[in-house]
Amino acid sequence: MKNASRSWGWLIIGLVAAVLVTGFISFRLFNGSVETMAAQADYGNIILVNVLVGISVALFIFQLKWGALRVALTVVGALLLGYIVTAFFNLDTAQRFVRGQFEVTVVSKAVPQKVDGVDLVYGDIADGEFNKSGVRTPLTEARYTFQGSQGDVISALAYAANRRSTVDLQIDLSDASGTVIASATTSTTEQRELFEDMRSDRDAVIQDFTLPANGVYTLDVRPEAVSLGTTLDETIQATNTAYDAFLLGALGRVNRWAVWIQDALTLILVGLAIALAFRANQFSLGAEGQLYLGALASGVVALAWGNMSPWLVVPIALLASITAGFVWGLIPGVLKAYLNANELVSTLMLNTIAIRFYDLVLTFQLKPPEAGYIATDSFSANAIFPPIVAETQVTVAVFIVIAAVIAVWLLLTRTPLGYEIRMVGANQKFADYGGVNTKRTIMLAMAVSGILAGLAGAHLSMGIYRQLLINISIGLAFEGVVVALLARNDPLVIPFTGFLYAYLRAGAQFMERDANVSFEVVRIIQAAIILLITAEALTAFFQQRRTRQKNLHIGTHAPESAKPAVERSANG
Amino acid sequence: MADAIIQGIFSAAFLASILRVTTPILLPSLGALISDRAGVINIGLEGMMLGAAFTGVVVSAYSQTWFGPEIGQVIGPWLGLVAGVFVAVMMALLLGFFHLRLKANLILSGVAISFLGSAATVAIMFELTGDRGNTSTLASLQIPFIQLPEFINSIPVIGPFFFQVFDNQSAMTWVAFISVGLVWFLLYRTPFGMHLRASGENPTAAQSVGIPVQRTRFIALMLSGLFAGLGGIHMSMGYLSLFQRDMTAGRGFIALATPLLGGNNPVGTMAASMVFGFFDALSNRIGSLQIPSMLPLMIPNVATVLALVIYALQTRQSQRVKALRASASGDFNNAYWNILQRLSLLHVILAMLAIIGVIITICLFAAPNGFGGSEVAFPIGFIIAAASAVLIAINVPFLARVERISQHAWYSGAAAVVSLGIYVGLFLSLFNAPTVSFPLALLVGAVIWSALGGMRLNGMAHSKTA
Repeated sequence: MKNASRSWGWLIIGLVAAVLVTGFISFRLFNGSVETMAAQADYGNIILVNVLVGISVALFIFQLKWGALRVALTVVGALLLGYIVTAFFNLDTAQRFVRGQFEVTVVSKAVPQKVDGVDLVYGDIADGEFNKSGVRTPLTEARYTFQGSQGDVISALAYAANRRSTVDLQIDLSDASGTVIASATTSTTEQRELFEDMRSDRDAVIQDFTLPANGVYTLDVRPEAVSLGTTLDETIQATNTAYDAFLLGALGRVNRWAVWIQDALTLILVGLAIALAFRANQFSLGAEGQLYLGALASGVVALAWGNMSPWLVVPIALLASITAGFVWGLIPGVLKAYLNANELVSTLMLNTIAIRFYDLVLTFQLKPPEAGYIATDSFSANAIFPPIVAETQVTVAVFIVIAAVIAVWLLLTRTPLGYEIRMVGANQKFADYGGVNTKRTIMLAMAVSGILAGLAGAHLSMGIYRQLLINISIGLAFEGVVVALLARNDPLVIPFTGFLYAYLRAGAQFMERDANVSFEVVRIIQAAIILLITAEALTAFFQQRRTRQKNLHIGTHAPESAKPAVERSANG
Repeated sequence: MADAIIQGIFSAAFLASILRVTTPILLPSLGALISDRAGVINIGLEGMMLGAAFTGVVVSAYSQTWFGPEIGQVIGPWLGLVAGVFVAVMMALLLGFFHLRLKANLILSGVAISFLGSAATVAIMFELTGDRGNTSTLASLQIPFIQLPEFINSIPVIGPFFFQVFDNQSAMTWVAFISVGLVWFLLYRTPFGMHLRASGENPTAAQSVGIPVQRTRFIALMLSGLFAGLGGIHMSMGYLSLFQRDMTAGRGFIALATPLLGGNNPVGTMAASMVFGFFDALSNRIGSLQIPSMLPLMIPNVATVLALVIYALQTRQSQRVKALRASASGDFNNAYWNILQRLSLLHVILAMLAIIGVIITICLFAAPNGFGGSEVAFPIGFIIAAASAVLIAINVPFLARVERISQHAWYSGAAAVVSLGIYVGLFLSLFNAPTVSFPLALLVGAVIWSALGGMRLNGMAHSKTA
């Protein structure tokens, strides 16, 4: 009775979170206005997908309960790490104050004096560029001379040459003997009104200076040294801008939202594939190769029978991709089950073979001879997944993914094969003694996992790109590992982790586009997530440290027997 | 004359290129071997190689700015080497910390380290050079190449050949092959090596006799990081002179397979690495022919999968022999079974090589345009398919039941010699005319077969099987 009530509690928390998430996404997407929403084509389907995202959140919380908190904390921790990395990459933002084009001029109402050997005459403009990148000896300081007479009232100006340049200038005036007699680092608003070329307080001006004697004067112009405060300030600002794009960029417009959703659908399929293999305790990373072959098979069908009815060609293409994935999953399955060949090595090798094969067929057989880049023609409208949101790649694949999630869940929990997979995964020897045909189970688990990866390939070719191109997936299988791990290989949780991870990936794209921070930051975050989520003793480690520190404080050591027993690690 | 024959069988340039491409597999393989023997499989090798390769390039390039061009040119490569290896060892330390202290799953955290290496190098490269593909804008340096003294060239018969193979190899190639001996010494002749092997074989027993298993494993992981780092340095500062995104191209993963195939000892690991080096060099060699570049690039990976299968079959075979020996204690003829095992391995390898033919056939039929159109590709495809089918058919009977090798010794011998003749002949045709290659190859096949004991088998066949 108590358990039941606790479940109800989690269900309610999950549903509340679901409503909040659905509401938030829809609100951001339509800027909170009903008119914007009504103006959007197919807004009903957009809301439907958002509701599905919400449902995935509810399932996540309901299935994992307290585990959900740990996953959430891990993701937050990894995101914080990502923030530090991004900040690190942004450390040079303040450098823009010492880099850029500038102009220098001296103005006076006095008569200009033309003398040989000086650089400037009243009213002339000299220019240059400080610390130009990619130059062997960049300009760090510029020096100009001019001839002046006693009593001339001059103004010396140094300013950024154009709007793109943000260099922060400093100007020093010295007399013939080299003594600095005037200097400036900023300009006031009034000065900027007086001298039209100046734009900001980073420009420097020495205004209305009366020259003390006749002779050659020197102007030294250089960028102001950047203070640590400015560096940190600029870094944090740039990082905040980048993270804003990272965390909210995917909700800016419907086409960005679609990038997120379409990526999530692929990731959910790949995640399911990985999870199924992991459930049988097989560290198979073969999804990548299966995905390529699935894409190839469906693409060949779509190109060959593109003029047939969509009711015929799409199912045939799906069937082809499923078969390709199944066969390519069966190979490492057989090798592992009957020959005990290390599945990690064999799947990684088979991946490369599949990708090379895909490249070979694409380059020499499917690419139209006259095409400039390596890609097939676009598939005909009959041979693609029909979109459910106009002008996006959010297609009926949504329903295929829902079906796949339910199918994998049913397979694992309601069928003999699923039971055997879980038995083998929990303890292979025990399963063997218990009469399970472990070899057949391992083989089938890896082959069925291949089916899902093949489907993901079909989604890439017929749903997203609508043609075959080179590098159709770069390491999606590895992303699938994160999705499966975060979900603890639970098929009902995978939709949420798929949406979450795709959200980060989409965000990283927009961060790269908007803030020029490398997309790879998200892969660093990914590595951190894997490390943190698999570190079982993470909490214990910190507790142990605290105890040890306490013990040290008291002056005793933890007894030797308190050390955890050494376990033989997974080998081979 | 002798010179010409040696040149005919092994082109010196080809052997030299085998050494060159073996190095980046051998070094991480030694790392994998050490960590395997300590019972901690190191999946992060790939990431550690990338980390080292990238750091080496960056440090060697920047050392010219730090120390001026003259000094920088000299110490830059070594500074890069040290920094790169340091980074790799630190990554290994991270892996060790997460697995040994935080009890993270070793395989998954190894995968994470691989991600980290791949992602962080690209991200930092993008920041430093604005390029995501390679570091061609950085003026990075190479580890020096070692020139042999001239007098070796003047030694008669083998001198020039030896000179051509070993001259102008990267210092890292020498380091790699010398390391084989060092690792052997470390594993089998030092107390630490014994602790390491004990920690791998039975950690509980090792712990109970006072071996610090955790610390040993930590050090083993760091040593494997060191070798992975050296391998990475060779990739970017010897093999090539720049860093490319994901330039190790799976060598860190291939390195996981080689110790398995080499019987988990340094010399075997070296032999297995050289087999991969052979296929790698072969794929470069074929790459110069009129064949789509994807096909030769597949070969090392196909070879790995095949090698895994061969290893598995071989393990099963030797288990069976062990069982036989146990049951037939006194009556057991060791020499007989050794020959049988060797010959069965030969048949396994010969049958497996035909799989490459099957894959080539599939490629020919799937993309005939790549091979000069369907008129050319389909007939060739049929020929290769038929040849592969025949090669598999004549070798497989001896895989299913080993006893058949002795029962039909002459038939087995003929199958082996003919198959060997075809493979070796194909290989030699890369360097010589086919009319010379195939007869020579049949001769080589016969020599190999009898060297493995095929001739002696006939006499023993029926005496000891009952």
